[in-house]
This record gives sequence, C-alpha cells and structure tokens, in this order.
Amino acid sequence: MKVKINNKEYEFQEELSILDAVKKAHIIIPTLCYSEKLKPFGSCRLCSVEIKGERTLKPACVTKISNGMEIYTHSEKVRKVRSTIMELIIASHGISCNLNCLTCSKSASCEIKVIAEEIGIMEVRVPPISSRVPEDRSSYSIVREPQKCIVCDRCVRKCAEVQSVNILTIANRGPDTYVTTFLDKGMGNVDCVNCGQCVIECPTGALHEVYQTDQVWNVISDNSKYVIVQTAPAVRVAIAEEFGAEPGRIVTKQLVTGLRLLGFDKVFDTNFSADLTIMEEASEFLERFKNGGKLPLFTSCSPGWIKFIEHNYPEFLDNLSTCKSPQQMFGAIAKTYYADKIGIPREDMIVVSIMPCTAKKYERVRPEMKGDVDYVLTTRELAKMFKLAGIDLLNLPSEEYDEPLGITTGAAAIFGATGGVMEAALRTAYEVITGKTLERLDFESVRGIEGIKEAVIEIDGLKLNVAVVNGLGNARKMLDMIKNGEKDYHFIEFMACPGGCIGGGGQPIPTTKEILSKRMKAIYEIDKSFEIRKSHENPAIQALYKEFLGEPLSEKSHELLHTTYIARS
Amino acid sequence: MEKYYEKELLEELHDIQETYGFISEEDILRISEKRDIPKAHLYGVISFYSMFHLKPTGKYIIKVCDSVSCSLNHSADIVKVIKEHLGIGENETTRDKKFSLEVVECLGHCDEGPVMIINDTYYTHLTTNKVVQILDNLD
Amino acid sequence: MEKIFLKSDLGKSFEDYEFSGLKNSLKMEQTQVIDKIKDSVLKGRGGAGFPAGIKWETAYHVEDDIKFVVCNADEGEPGTFKDRFLMENLPYKVIEGIVICGYAIGSKYGYIYIRGEYTQAIKIIRKTIQKMYERNILGNNILGTDFSFDIKLVRGAGAYVCGDETSLINSIEGERGMSRIKPPLPVFEGLYGKPTVVNNVETLSAAAEIMKYDYNPYLQLGTEKSKGTKLVSISGDVYKPGVYEVEFGKMTVKEIVNELAGGVKGSGLGFVIPGGISTEVLTENEWDVPYTYEDLFKIGTNIGSGGMIVVSKDRNYLEIIKNVSDFFRDETCGTCFPCREGNKNINKMVSEIYERGYPMKKEIEIISDIKNAVSLAARCGFGEASVNLILSILENFYAKKVK
Repeated sequence: MKVKINNKEYEFQEELSILDAVKKAHIIIPTLCYSEKLKPFGSCRLCSVEIKGERTLKPACVTKISNGMEIYTHSEKVRKVRSTIMELIIASHGISCNLNCLTCSKSASCEIKVIAEEIGIMEVRVPPISSRVPEDRSSYSIVREPQKCIVCDRCVRKCAEVQSVNILTIANRGPDTYVTTFLDKGMGNVDCVNCGQCVIECPTGALHEVYQTDQVWNVISDNSKYVIVQTAPAVRVAIAEEFGAEPGRIVTKQLVTGLRLLGFDKVFDTNFSADLTIMEEASEFLERFKNGGKLPLFTSCSPGWIKFIEHNYPEFLDNLSTCKSPQQMFGAIAKTYYADKIGIPREDMIVVSIMPCTAKKYERVRPEMKGDVDYVLTTRELAKMFKLAGIDLLNLPSEEYDEPLGITTGAAAIFGATGGVMEAALRTAYEVITGKTLERLDFESVRGIEGIKEAVIEIDGLKLNVAVVNGLGNARKMLDMIKNGEKDYHFIEFMACPGGCIGGGGQPIPTTKEILSKRMKAIYEIDKSFEIRKSHENPAIQALYKEFLGEPLSEKSHELLHTTYIARS
Repeated sequence: MEKYYEKELLEELHDIQETYGFISEEDILRISEKRDIPKAHLYGVISFYSMFHLKPTGKYIIKVCDSVSCSLNHSADIVKVIKEHLGIGENETTRDKKFSLEVVECLGHCDEGPVMIINDTYYTHLTTNKVVQILDNLD
Repeated sequence: MEKIFLKSDLGKSFEDYEFSGLKNSLKMEQTQVIDKIKDSVLKGRGGAGFPAGIKWETAYHVEDDIKFVVCNADEGEPGTFKDRFLMENLPYKVIEGIVICGYAIGSKYGYIYIRGEYTQAIKIIRKTIQKMYERNILGNNILGTDFSFDIKLVRGAGAYVCGDETSLINSIEGERGMSRIKPPLPVFEGLYGKPTVVNNVETLSAAAEIMKYDYNPYLQLGTEKSKGTKLVSISGDVYKPGVYEVEFGKMTVKEIVNELAGGVKGSGLGFVIPGGISTEVLTENEWDVPYTYEDLFKIGTNIGSGGMIVVSKDRNYLEIIKNVSDFFRDETCGTCFPCREGNKNINKMVSEIYERGYPMKKEIEIISDIKNAVSLAARCGFGEASVNLILSILENFYAKKVK
C-alpha cells in the first residue's frame, strides 16, 4: 500500500496505524496517552495529523493507513493545534512559577518535558488550574499526587490490561474527571498488590513510590546502629541507566563501592538469601512431591504476586510455598545468626534493602514477618541517594561484597529474571534427587520474556511439568486454566511484573520491552561469570546450615524462614 | 442474544436509586460480583452519571434547570428562593432528609421556564411564590 | 406558516392510530423501504445531519445475524424539546419508526434510550410499547408477517454527552458514556460489537410518516438539499415559545421567530441561536436567512438540533456565554484533553470576562485558538462544536471593540 508522508512516498505491506508507519519513516510524533504495551486510547490528541481531504485532524495512534493516503505530520495546522493542546496540558498539570518540576519524582524521566520540547512550546498563556483531589498516601508502597495527573489513563489500562488487578479507574466526568480507586478509598485500602507497574507507566510525577530515603540517611548517620544493606539481583543490571548508561550495563562492584561510600556498615547481597530460598523451596517441593503434598507448588518470592493470590484466588493459598522471600529471609538471618556471630545486639542491627520493587515496601510491614527488614529502597531511590552524595557510580572502583552474607552463586543471580527461580531450583533439585552432578546447567526452555512458559523436565526418568509465569494478567490466565482443569503442573514460578524483577515497579524509567531484554541478557551474563552456579554449593549457605539452621525445613528454618498467608477476599 | 434480554446496568442502577435514594457500597459490591465487573470500574461508571448518588438523598430530589432558556427566565431567583426556604445549598440535603437540591442542565421544557422537577413530577412557569407553595405542600 | 406534516396525526389516540407506515413497509421489500428513505434525503435530525437512508442501506448490507436499531432519545441540547414533544404526543409514531428501520435493515432488536430526566416521556413510551405488544405491532410475527421485533427502553442517567451515538452505545452497554474511536462506525460495529443504526427520535418519526404515503411526500417538501420539514423548538425572548413544524426553504429564521413564535420580546433582537448551544449565533444582519441546511451553513452556522433560542438586545450576552461555558465544562465526558481542558480553561476566562464586564483581545485570541484545537482534534462531535457559540458571540459583539 502506497502512502505519502509529508510529500514523500512510502510503501507498506501491512495495515499499520499512522503512528507505526510514520515511525518507520523516522519521523517522531509526540504522544502521551499512547503506550506500546496498551490498547490505544486516543485521548491526548497530541498525535493528531492532517490527512488530505479530511475536515478534521486524525489521531495517528488509532487511525490506520490506507492506500493513497497523504499524511502531513507537522503541517502548520497540526503544529498550531498541538501547541494549544500542550498549553492546556501544562495548565492542567499544575506547573507554576514555584516550579515543581525540580522537586518532582519524575524530574529526570518526565514525558511532558520531552514533548514540550518536541512541540517547541514557547509560551503558556493559560494559568495553571489546580486539582482539588487530595493526595493518596494510604499505601505503604505507592503515592498518588492527582495534582500532577493528566488523566491519560495509562495507569488504569496497565493495571487492568497487563496486570488484571483492576484497582484503578477514571471517575466522574467533565472538569472533575480523575483517576482514583474504588470509592476513593486509596491504594492502601483496596485490592492493590503494590506492584508499581502504574508508576512505571505514568508519564508524569503523579505516581511514585513511598520514599524512605530520609529515614535511611538518618539511620546511616546514627552511630548507635549497625546498618547493613542487601541488594536484590535485578538492581545491579539496571541502576546504571539512572546515570545515563546503556541498558544492560552491569555495575555490581561499583554498586558495592557506592553503598560503602554512603556509609553502610556492611554491604551484603540478597543473592545470598536467594540461594537459601532455593535450599528451602527445593526441599519443600521434594517433600510435597514425595509425600503427596499440595501441588503444583507456587513460588513465593514476589510480594505483588502473593497479595494478588490472597485477594483473588484464596482457594490456591495452600499451593504457595511457605518460604519467605529472599528479602525477608535475609533480614531474619541477619538479625539472628549474623548479629550473634559478630556480637551485635539484635535490636541494634538495621537491615536496609535495595529492591527493584515497590511491593517489597509493603512486604516489609506484613505482620507475619514484621521486623525482618527495616527499610526498603527502590533502585530509583538508591540512584537518588548516590546523586545526592555526589557518587559517580559508573566510574567507581570495583569492590567485593562483605562476607559471609555476600557470598553467592550464579543460581541466585538469575532470580532477577523471569524463569530464574525455577531454573535455580531445578539445578538443585536435580542433584538432590539423583545424587549426580548436573552437566548442563542452562534450562533454556524456562528463559525468555514470554508471559507463560512451559517445560517438561526429565530427572532420572521422572517427568516434572513446570511453568513460568510473569505479569499478573498471565498469572490470572494460568490460575483460571488450572481451576478449569485445563492444565496440570508440579511446580510453577510466578512473578508479578512483566519480565520478572528486572521489570519491577521500582526500576529505572522507562522500562520498555527492549530495555527488559537487555537487562535480562545481563542477568544471564552474571550467572555465567560465577564458578559456583548451584545454590546448594554455596559455602556460606552450607556453613549457615551447619552452624545454625541444621538442615532445610528444620524447626529453626520454619521459625525464621517460612511464613503464612491470609485470604483477603 | 443473552445480553439483550438481560437488564442493562443503567436500568438496574436506576431501580436501586429510585428505591433507596442512593447506591450503597454493598449494592456496588453485589453488582460487581454478579456481573463480574471490577468494583473500581463500576465506581467509575456510576460516578459518570449525575442521576446516580453514592450518598443518601432526601425523600424529594429537587432539580432546577439553569440552562440558557430557563436562565433567561430567571431560574437563578428560583434556586435562591429554594435555598433560603430550605436552608440548604446545591447538592445538599435538609436535616430532616426531606429535600435535596440540585441545579441541573436543560430539562427540555424551555418553552415553559423556569422549570424544576421533583422526583417524577415537572413544575413549569415557576415563580418565587409558586415554588414556596409547592415545597410546602409536599409531605 | 406552520407546515403540518409530521404533526398530522397529533391528537390521535393510540386506538385510532393505524400504523399505516409500518403496514406499507411490511408489504414492501426491505430494499424498497430503504430506497424510499434514501430518495427522501431524510437527514439525521439530532444535529449531525447524516442521511438516514445511507445509514440504513449500509447496515442492511453488513452481514450479521444480529443487528440493532437504537433510537436516540437522549435529547439534552439546551433549547431543544422537540423529541420530548414527539414522545409525549406521538409516541406510537416514534416506535413505529424504530420498527420500520428494524424491518428495513434486517434487525430484530431495538432500543430506545431516553434521557432519565424525561419522566413523562418514559412513562408514555413504556405504556405505548406495552400496548404495541398487545396489538402485535411488536413481538413475534408482527401483524401476521414473518417479521419479529422487540424493543427495550433504557433510561439515561444525566449525562448530556450520551447523545453522541457512540457514547450512547457505551452507555447502554453499562460503560462510562464516552465516545468510541471511529472507525469502526456503529453501522459496522456498534452495540455489543454488532451492526447498529442509531437514529434520532425525529428522524425515525419522519421515516414512519414518509412510509405512510404511497408516494414520497418528501420529494414535494423543502428544497433540493433540505427536503421535508423540521420541528423547531423555540424558546427564550419570544411571546409564543413552543414546537413548530417548518418546511425547509419556505420561511426565514426571522419569519419563524416573528410569525410562529410571536416576535421578539423587549427592545429588539440581540441574536438567535439557531440550533442549540453548539451552533453559531445569527445577528440582526443575518437572521433573514431561509431556514435550510445549505443557507445556514453558507453563513457559518447550522440547523443543529433545531433548538432555537432567541435573545433580545436587553440581555447581558456575557451572562449567556458564561452559562453556555458552564454547560460545556460540566458536560464534556472528560476523556480527550482538548475538550476537557479546553472547556475548563475557557470557563475560567469567561468567568473573569463576565465579572469584568468585557473581554480582552488576548482572551478572545486564546479562546479562538482553543476552539481551533477542539474543532480539529476533539474525539467526538460534541467536543468539536463546544466552543462555536461562545466564540461567535465574542466575535460578533466584542472583537471589534476590545483592546
């Protein structure tokens, strides 16, 4: 099909949207309500283009090209309309002379700023109009600032279409149209799972995590406290983006140095407790498998997933592994085993987590495991702290994690990507079941970015049906299939966020599909770089069992490393 | 064509609104469950329509039109008198839960303005005296 | 003089009404009915003016077991009350039109969506539907033919924007009443994804009336481009407000006001809003214009819904602008940015203008830019037309005088 774009002829085979066609012609059209992962909504009208013969402009995101169409993407008419709409958006967004841009959570990743530049806006003739909708601070994980919301609906669509959590909606109409929760109860009082995908999707600063940086600054400078920090596997492959690096850059050792510079007494790794999780969870699986326990076993590392199943599928709670997540296991071990080992009073030990996740902030305060972890920072928050401390992360010298809670394996590293927990568990389960050494460690069939992956793993004649699910929309699909008897598995890994933790709600913005695959590639590179790539071979873990826990699923393990769930519907 | 023979959501909401004077949280939860609509979305739908109330209203809901034609016929005076007479403002309900007052868009009786509607009944060619009488005669 | 065509059965009781339009139609092929409506060039009377026959023909040709006819009775345009008039006085003709359309396009399912505030019309239509079932003018094998048709009534709930056809469809489906992205047009994918014809009350009644005759009465009424008659609702500063039927091209706006509505009250004409508050005003220099689609269009305005509001020169026009702006600010569905934010910002400016007593040049300029953006880039027709009246009053009466 032949199409003219700005007087130049192009040929396209498929029936693309104008927006996609124009992209192929290397022309950029501003968009706000459009997002590659979501159904087009057609509300911001910024992508409006002129089409020869049409009275009105047409939104490029939802208009398909047709043969002979003549499109003008930046004609004077178009530019004028865009500029006016942009003025209105800016006015609605409450930007005024006491410029809140500089203090905004999205000061570095604001889409409105980018678009204002693309449109070349010189003047805003209409004064800001304030929203009267109050801030929502009801959640432990996420803050909503309606003042900055432009009602583009992206968070609502992300929550519904991708996550199937459905807690956000547009309410009212006319000038009072706003984004809210059921009866304005607030995100902390509805079925929100705290996954933070809405934060990632928001083009403005209307959504951000609940900050704990101030508390962490305070506690670091408090000499009476012994402050240790743990870093989740997905942080090291993403935080460099906050400093302008190409996605996928691995900065593990610079991260360690940076954290020491901030003043943490010890820098440890959540990967240590990821290995510990594998010890417990693989054992739990084998025990259920042998003794006719509840199967399929569902992984329990992702607190967004946990809250999702508690709200929506309480009938499956017995399928959940009772293992705490690596974050919580770390805290539990640090405040007992490690505190005792170094002779620090348990109550003076402060555990800070650096997580790719907003739901971890909620997990920390769950009554079932309160006290394990004291503060949770997202990848973004840590980047902010580094910047505030003048730390030039990318150019720092390399340093190693502290011992023993910083000794880890390749198996733990891959927890950061979808499929990683499954693969790590299989590496250990294989050897425990067979007593033989696993030759090929890479279980390719459970890797990759697809939402639902399935595999049959043969271990000594035993056929294990496993599945790996990421994104809660896919989790819902999977649970419905199991419910209807369409599927039957032994073991399923679930992660709340698309792509797993590398796509977590606390990760750098933007997180696109392309960026996700780069982060994922980095995760598997880290795995490869380890000599020890099986959790049960981690010497520090072996020592921990020997000195303290006894064996997996021991009484002590149960007390410290396992938890319970509640039906919330 | 199952959907055609089901009761439409708007009709169901109207029935609740008419019977109870408002749509309660329990109502929304029940409909959400029955129709398999996320409750946040249902709230989004209900709040779009100004005839649905999420809080209890008075026995009589007074709606006074203030669109162009009625406004030319001094509907503002009518609103003022009602406010004074009942001691309530727009979108408020009297203490005895008898009256709620709303100022609404065109009621489609532009040739007989000013106009108000109380529950199901239209009152046209209003004057300030007439309005007070009408209100006083309702029990 | 008023031309009595659509009103010709006024005063007839249900029992006396013969439904000859429907009876005639059922004797004809579906395509013959469509052709007759097409030949009559009956334009949509809700405001958009799209030829009904073409809608019907398109829907007829779309292959699907299930099709819908939806009668748009969500009349909410200020100054417009002719659909209420029809539903209260000729309810059987309204329903008859729906059934005829259903027969013509091959649909078995009809809806009438009446705005919730029209309590009287709702009662009357409900009763009429019931009686029509009793007389087998609705239901299975209507009047002994193979044709079956059902109708359901759905009440709107206080949202003006649901008068837009795709918003109305969303509303019936239990969604927020926001417009849908077009294409697909409702005739291809409408209610529940099925081919759907949405026609206004007056359009469907006129179709029923046209089908009543053996010949095509519309061919002898009106002008070449504006055939037939139109119900005009007149209100505002006139002595005899009401619903009048006017044959296109036979009267000017001035004659309609002076001869039918008894003339302008007060010390003379300020302006006429010709077709609801989405249309540009006519000043004293312009109102001597023949009442046709083409003549009004030529001077930059529109027949619109036929809701004519007459304003005398004694009035404070800024108060009217403010009133209209309040309306659009509150009634936009709130989805698309230009319409939601544009009308919000205009309202802020207009309120200031009203307080001050006159507009500034810069304000008119900004409002004009917003109007440009809204009319070129809004999501639906309601948004597109939302600033027409406001800007036309400012331009006609203030632009030359201000600094």
